[in-house]
Amino acid sequence: MTQTQSTEAARAPAKNDSIHSESRRTFMKLAAGAGAAVSVTSKLAWANGEIGFWAKDLPSDKLTEMFNTIVRIRWYERTCVDKMITDPKYRGYNHFYPGQEAVAVGVCAALNNKGPFNELDLVYSTHRPSGHAIAKGADLKKMAAEYEFRATGLNGGYAGEMHISDKSCGFIGADGMIGPGHVIATGSAFAFRARGSKQVSVVFGGDGTYATPHFHGALNNAALLQLPFIYVLENNLYHQYAHYSYSCPMKDIASAAKTYGIAGVVVDGQDVFQVYNAAKTAVDRARAGEGPTLIEAKTYRYYNHWGAPGAKPGQLGAFGYDPLAISSFRPEREVRAWMARDPVDICRDTLITWGVFDRAKADAIEAAAKKEAIEAFEWADKQPFCKPEDGLKNVFVEGAVPARQFG
Amino acid sequence: MARKSFMYAVLEAVQHEMRQDKDMIWIFELTPPVASTPGKPVINLEKEFGRKRVVNTGIDENWMASCVLGAGLAGSKAVTYIPYQGNCMCFQVIQNHAGKLRHMSGGGASMPVVFLLEMTGQTPGFAGQHSDYEIDTYYAHIAGVKTVVPSTPTDAKGMMAAAIQDPNPVCYLYAGGLRELIEEVPDNQYTTPLDKAAVRTTGGDITIVGSGGGMPEVLKATAVLQKQGMKVETIDLRCLKPMDTETLVKSVRKTKRLLTVDQSYYTLCPGAEVIARVAENVTGARYKRVAFPDAPPPASPEMFLWMRPNAEHVVGAARKLVG
Repeated sequence: MTQTQSTEAARAPAKNDSIHSESRRTFMKLAAGAGAAVSVTSKLAWANGEIGFWAKDLPSDKLTEMFNTIVRIRWYERTCVDKMITDPKYRGYNHFYPGQEAVAVGVCAALNNKGPFNELDLVYSTHRPSGHAIAKGADLKKMAAEYEFRATGLNGGYAGEMHISDKSCGFIGADGMIGPGHVIATGSAFAFRARGSKQVSVVFGGDGTYATPHFHGALNNAALLQLPFIYVLENNLYHQYAHYSYSCPMKDIASAAKTYGIAGVVVDGQDVFQVYNAAKTAVDRARAGEGPTLIEAKTYRYYNHWGAPGAKPGQLGAFGYDPLAISSFRPEREVRAWMARDPVDICRDTLITWGVFDRAKADAIEAAAKKEAIEAFEWADKQPFCKPEDGLKNVFVEGAVPARQFG
Repeated sequence: MARKSFMYAVLEAVQHEMRQDKDMIWIFELTPPVASTPGKPVINLEKEFGRKRVVNTGIDENWMASCVLGAGLAGSKAVTYIPYQGNCMCFQVIQNHAGKLRHMSGGGASMPVVFLLEMTGQTPGFAGQHSDYEIDTYYAHIAGVKTVVPSTPTDAKGMMAAAIQDPNPVCYLYAGGLRELIEEVPDNQYTTPLDKAAVRTTGGDITIVGSGGGMPEVLKATAVLQKQGMKVETIDLRCLKPMDTETLVKSVRKTKRLLTVDQSYYTLCPGAEVIARVAENVTGARYKRVAFPDAPPPASPEMFLWMRPNAEHVVGAARKLVG
């Protein structure tokens, strides 16, 4: 099964040869003309004949941190799954991200996530936001508290999972809607260009976003204005319960980049380093004023669209019929085939091969991530509930609105 | 007669119309037109009528609404089911096109189309973008479209049949919180007028007016108040545009006290329009409005459930008026 998937991923670039050539040409132009954007280390990889394979040049601690972030996402989510199905008092819900971790981590590792707000790269997320938030730098404890609607949660209990945000690391936030966030993200990119900032604006979207008018609005304007904007389309094959063939006539959504004359690339979304390479190339391009990039990451979610139907405590993934799916259904073999190319395994095995760490160290990192996640949810359980009347606050910057429910 | 859920009743009406009219189409995304109820055959419009007439689209509510409007202009009856996540994405095409084309064309354009707009507002935890209810006000404000909000499976069926048969564009608001309602609904096709409120209980002490997703709590409050000896006239608005002014005025002329209940935001909620119409026609009456505060719905159940109007709030407000 691993072989099938690899072949599939390997075949994708050939089909999109023109896209890749175009993006390669842009890269060449960038490498030749914009010295500031290409670091000395990245030239090393080029010298070694691996053009654009930036991940190999990263220091070991950065690579280790990428693995750490992947397993922190994995265990945050797995702990949340178990909470949902074993703790009847747990009120949170989630659109689970496992299976897609390499996309969030590969992209966010190429971004600036620390420092003053006006230097941070901004990330716009989806209603499947846990992975993006953690990869960008959000705190697990505060997230867990927010998912349980506690007053000390990341957004004071106003957001819940579907609307979390964390300005301190440039995580503009989750979005319950499909489409508008992408266009809004280009607005941030426009502001960066207008004020001469080197920041970039990144939006994550699913395969369902292709059908929205916003997809066109975002990419068309980003292309016209050469905005520092990156559209990361996580193609996990299903928008809610419908296969993406219901919303896109092309096999590779990245083919759409051609329409706008921008760089478009298909990457193996299960391999964090492939994702990182594509993201780093796109970020360099954006910072150098060379315009937007559309990255399509082929990936898969191990759980159903929403919640944990089909999941069992302690087990990764959800199988079987999802009553919410009504008329569509994912074959279990498909789920298992994708799970055989797990982003955690691929990242761990690659770094062991590269000599970054050994298996014992990897296991220790994963065990620590699991412990951190469990502690985060335990901490969240002890946090105070929201005060009802606080619902009237934060409507405007100042004051509170009047209660109207009592007549 | 059989016990039917809200959506079963709606799809039964649609199925009947689609069997009569081979041109009629149904556009959906994500929510398949499938419903079942014990002892009755499963309704699956996609299976029965095929994908040429019934299509699952990509996530593009603008296209969905535009598609049925275009189908209507071309002479076909058409319905689209817009799920609650996207119920304002299609606002422009309903407001600026469906609402105006008849008038702009000097009476030429015909638009036998229904926009089935799902709305929520019932669910603590979902927050912000997945919990709003205020589209009743938004769509009711549009000239040139009829806007209705049934609150029972029986009305849901009759009003869907009437909406499809109506030559005007109809915004048919479906409060998702009512999906669990089940009651006896006739099997035959029947229509329920798109301009008449329903008087649910009669009484001389107070008129309480609610609609859509708020009705179960209004009826619960009515029962409590009646038990306490208050004679309550409870009206289910059902039609926001055109609004049944006559029924409202007739009731308040008798009771002289009007309490409106909305899950919509306070400012410009349907109750505000109800009170304005009654105040223009009745002298010496007293008024009160229960509505969701002018704040987005927060995720925390502690905040949300405190803010959302419920039976207890309605009872309290009614006592203040009658007291």
